[in-house]
Amino acid sequence: MANIFPRSSNWLPLKIVLMALVLGTGVSAGMWYYFTPKYTRVGYQPVQPVQFSHKIHAGQLGMDCRYCHSFVEVAAHSNIPTTQVCMNCHAQVQPQNPKLAPVRESWQTGKPIAWTQVHKSPDYVYFNHAAHVNRGVSCVSCHGDVSEMEVVHHEKSHSMDFCLTCHRNPENELRPLAEVTNLKWQATPNEGESVSEAQVRIGTELKKAWNINPPDKNCAGCHR
Amino acid sequence: MKRIVNHPMEEAGGRKYWRSLGQLGDTPEYRGWLEREFPQGASELSGGEVSRRAFLRLMGASSALAGLSLAACRRPEKHLVAFTRGVEWSIPGKALFYATSMPTRKGHTPLIAQTHDGRPTKIEGNPLHAVSGGATGLFEQASILDLYDPDRAREFKHAGKVATAEAFEKAIDAIVGKAGDGAGLAFLLEDSASPTRERLRGLIASKFPKAMWAVYEPLGNTAAAEAAKAAFGAEVLVRPDFSKADVVLSLDCDFLGIDSQTDQARAYAKRRSVDGGNKMNRLYVVENRFTVTGGMADHRLRAQASQVGAVALQLAGEIARLTGDVALNSIVNAAPKTGTQFPADWIKECAADLAGKKGASLVLVGERQRPAVQALGYAINAALGNLGKTLSGAKPFNKPAATIVELAKALGDKAVKTLVIVGSNPAYNAPADIDFAAKAKNAETVVRLGDDEDETAPLATWHAPMAHYLEAWGDGRAADGSYLSVQPMILPLFGGWSEIDLLAKFAALPKPKGAELVQETFTKLSGTKDVATDWPKFLYYGFLTGSAAGAAPLTLNADAVAKLAAEKLSLPAPDAESFEVVLVSDASVDDGRYANNGWVQEFPDPVSKLTWDNAAWISPKSAKKLGLENGDVIEVSVSGAKIEIPVLIVPGSADNSLTIALGYGRTAAGRVGSVAATTERYVFGDDVLSGGFNAYPLATSAEPYIRIGAKVRSVGRSYLLAVTQEHGSLEGRGGDLVREGTLKQYTENPKFSEKFGMDAHIPENRSLYAHPPLNDIHQWGMTVDLNACTGCGVCMVACQAENNIPIVGKRQVIDGREMHWIRADRYFASGPNADGKYDQDMDEPEMVSQPMMCQHCENAPCETVCPVNATVHSEDGLNVMAYNRCIGTRYCANNCPFKVRRFNFFDYNERQLTELRKWNLISDRGMEDTLKMSKNPNVTVRMRGVMEKCTFCVQRVQEAKIATKANGRDSANVRIPADSFTSACAQVCPTGAIVFGDIANPESAVAKIRTGPRAYELLKYLNLSTRVLYLTRLRNPNPRMPGAETAAAYSQPKHHGPHGADAKKGGAH
Repeated sequence: MANIFPRSSNWLPLKIVLMALVLGTGVSAGMWYYFTPKYTRVGYQPVQPVQFSHKIHAGQLGMDCRYCHSFVEVAAHSNIPTTQVCMNCHAQVQPQNPKLAPVRESWQTGKPIAWTQVHKSPDYVYFNHAAHVNRGVSCVSCHGDVSEMEVVHHEKSHSMDFCLTCHRNPENELRPLAEVTNLKWQATPNEGESVSEAQVRIGTELKKAWNINPPDKNCAGCHR
Repeated sequence: MKRIVNHPMEEAGGRKYWRSLGQLGDTPEYRGWLEREFPQGASELSGGEVSRRAFLRLMGASSALAGLSLAACRRPEKHLVAFTRGVEWSIPGKALFYATSMPTRKGHTPLIAQTHDGRPTKIEGNPLHAVSGGATGLFEQASILDLYDPDRAREFKHAGKVATAEAFEKAIDAIVGKAGDGAGLAFLLEDSASPTRERLRGLIASKFPKAMWAVYEPLGNTAAAEAAKAAFGAEVLVRPDFSKADVVLSLDCDFLGIDSQTDQARAYAKRRSVDGGNKMNRLYVVENRFTVTGGMADHRLRAQASQVGAVALQLAGEIARLTGDVALNSIVNAAPKTGTQFPADWIKECAADLAGKKGASLVLVGERQRPAVQALGYAINAALGNLGKTLSGAKPFNKPAATIVELAKALGDKAVKTLVIVGSNPAYNAPADIDFAAKAKNAETVVRLGDDEDETAPLATWHAPMAHYLEAWGDGRAADGSYLSVQPMILPLFGGWSEIDLLAKFAALPKPKGAELVQETFTKLSGTKDVATDWPKFLYYGFLTGSAAGAAPLTLNADAVAKLAAEKLSLPAPDAESFEVVLVSDASVDDGRYANNGWVQEFPDPVSKLTWDNAAWISPKSAKKLGLENGDVIEVSVSGAKIEIPVLIVPGSADNSLTIALGYGRTAAGRVGSVAATTERYVFGDDVLSGGFNAYPLATSAEPYIRIGAKVRSVGRSYLLAVTQEHGSLEGRGGDLVREGTLKQYTENPKFSEKFGMDAHIPENRSLYAHPPLNDIHQWGMTVDLNACTGCGVCMVACQAENNIPIVGKRQVIDGREMHWIRADRYFASGPNADGKYDQDMDEPEMVSQPMMCQHCENAPCETVCPVNATVHSEDGLNVMAYNRCIGTRYCANNCPFKVRRFNFFDYNERQLTELRKWNLISDRGMEDTLKMSKNPNVTVRMRGVMEKCTFCVQRVQEAKIATKANGRDSANVRIPADSFTSACAQVCPTGAIVFGDIANPESAVAKIRTGPRAYELLKYLNLSTRVLYLTRLRNPNPRMPGAETAAAYSQPKHHGPHGADAKKGGAH
């Protein structure tokens, strides 16, 4: 009886397996990259209703983060400033600047400005700013150097892995309390020490002195 | 692999703890509840819901849709909207707390309201005020949901058509302009303790001297007022002082349950304690059905409510003999003779005990008893020398007002042209004999200010929405007479007016706002010279210091009591054929005013565990005689009035006595509380009605509470009742769950209960699993003192409010799907008869309550079976749930020996109760906007398919931790100060039975209590190391009393001592 399948079909199973492997790897790799916060979040830079520049305010003018985000040390949320806070200065400074028209309008009508949210944690995550900035974790650790951003973008991934990396080894991020809102601060190395080694040295000291023990295995630390 | 535990068998001939007659008889239905974590079929999509095939079809469709929608998948844009101008005190995301108070039928409760970004979300008691002491009752907790009730009256209406507030205001002005001297003007209001309202009443009376001012409360205290007036010659409020009472006798007074006030329950529990050198009090109760108070009693006598007067008289005779009190003797002689004799030795010993504690005893007669019986109670107290000691008097809050009977007469005579109804719902709850609704039609104009467009709304020419107490300014007096503020937390959601807003219009005050009205009252009452300082202080603390009413002297007018007793102390002999009907206020909906509140509707009655309905409670013997089973509908007729209602067999009820809670059978309460319109379909088990049965038709103005001579007849159909008493039944013998003993046992050996149940047999523990490290400096734990717990269940609703727990509806409760994280298990306890058998027609069991929540086992069985590590142990000893990780296998609930895990079968938060049984794709979703506002933002609103359970209020734990760290900044001390916060259930507990805190901190209260002699673990033989410990309950029986030897008598295992052989064999036996 003649062969129904040609000889070449002997390789077919192997080809199928190989193809499946290649495809599977491709799909997995694609998922790995495109579906993670590193891809979906980092770089997000929405257009804001007011062309507010953090670079000018926090960078060039050297304003402290807490002038506008005034409740970051007492509340879970870091608040968006009220229109009133803008007008504290801009009633006198550049009162006619057309870029500030939406602010002036809000001030006159009482209708608030709807800023577009850049950093958003899921509903089941209860992040608390006060717990971090009061204990030596700088703004820059999670938000990047905002004082260099003309328009704020999402710099770090804010994935659970991102949080846990620091919760497991907080010494990599801890700094003296006075330097928390100093976005340019770096640990001063001793002789023969790199900056990162100096950070770990200072961070370890602070961790011990302040009894820093962030929840690294306790789900309820962030999920309630 | 799942470990199969052979739970120990109940020892033959011992005392049994049982939840239902089904358990006592070990019926298959009960075994179903016991052996499964959910009842048979609860996890199936059964009945009209959706079949498996339809489910697969729908799943296919929904995944196809998901594929289509993926193309439109992009990041949702969210906005952050800050205030334009900063608001004083407001910090986004931080809660604010304001002092306020809630008006109730019995005076205002001092409260602290928690608001999140302007939304009130949780109510707590005001810890600075003695009446609250930080605790509240059920209705205060549930009032948050009333505020956000989407069915509240939303519109101003004229003749049923929507009108504007301005038009309403104009109409009021016109009425005021035409009213002349007030002839033809009548007001009908609810009882109130507001001095501002009373002040406005004075203004209205001077402007309209002929206007009628009527006050009506269906469950008011008119009988009590009449009794006090007769006994003491003046209008006086009589208040008991439990702190000085060594022996208490309650004659049909549920002072820990429906007649309770928070401070009284606390004072009682304090004297119940055996700690701190207190001498434990003793409680005798005479009642016709089990109440929370009866459950706490050391000695309980079952008697028909209509016979309580006869018991009181027999007791009075005995006390007159013992004390030689001439006045009491003359009253007893003046009273008609009773033919019935109650157990003479019971009454003799009770009287002897009371008489032995002159000046430190207390006899309380329930408000539902006739004035003559209550006055007789005062006379007994006078003979016992209690007046001015354990009973004190105070001036009543308000001047007497006209009654609804007088108003109905005036309406009938067409003497009322304009009727103003504020709050009250007379079309539903007025006594049947006055036919109020028909007579009200004689009035030309009816103005109504009401919370809901309820049964009374159709009578109204003008209907205006009434502001909730959290929306309006006001004031009031607490039960002790002290002056309290009512502050608005939020602008009226539906533009409602408050009571004082409307009355101020009638007093023709120029465009007032509530605040000015209250401030004026405050200035007058406090006599302050410095309003600018004292007013904010008053608002800050919520009360005026030193404003509690002074004690008024109580001098018994024996002649008046004798006269009242001679004329009015009716003592009908019990009749074996007819029934008495006792109408009581409901533990859930009170007189019906809270009927549209899902939290209270789903709250199981503390004794019967009935949800969503009322029923006629009947004793097992009477039910047997009539051939009735639970849910069988009967017709009750009393002198012409008839209602149909299902029966519920409740052990401990008096024979030939029906107890029916008022407040149900509402027809226009709203979507939650109204009786559903269809009445036939439930017969086929297809649809389930709820809303209960209206018993007001049985009440008359002369006999509002106790009717005798009722005829009962089965109508031959039955009604489905949602009773939770068997839900979450636990394995294990009595002694492994509930432990109790007597004061004598405790005095002889404080650790007497240490080896109860299986604890005497436990072999050395070995666990296959690693013990969690538990290396945090805080270790959370809880104790529940069964000696203080009355079983009132307010913890259940406090937990519901704090933790965003949804209601599930009656049908789902029947299927055992209720979501309460904490439940109050109620056990009856009884010993065997002489023949060693347990009586199925149980007459006189004892009652024990046990709050049950996640025990936070250190060796938690739930954790080892979770395939995705969604439930794990934290370092501080919490058994935590990561909702976002849970995939809903329900293995954990299956393996929980306490059955405290709850599964969200349908999207209870996102779907209305009427939508639950629809297919997923066609059901309406989404929460009402107002209900969204009621949620606690610090707790996840769980979705369907997720397991949930008590978290020990982990949001409060985390908040305290974060606050300590954030405030400490560079400090190394991160320990939370001892007892600086507590869980919602512990905070609300009126008797302080629940204590929560850090057991690793030796200064905390819970750490001290845990090491006490009465502390024990539930089901210790399972080696769970629970973080919740219970404290043995104690009773203090009178040793001379008949039956004292069986009170709380836990039968000790017959063989005792170490079990060398057994221990080596290991395993359970």
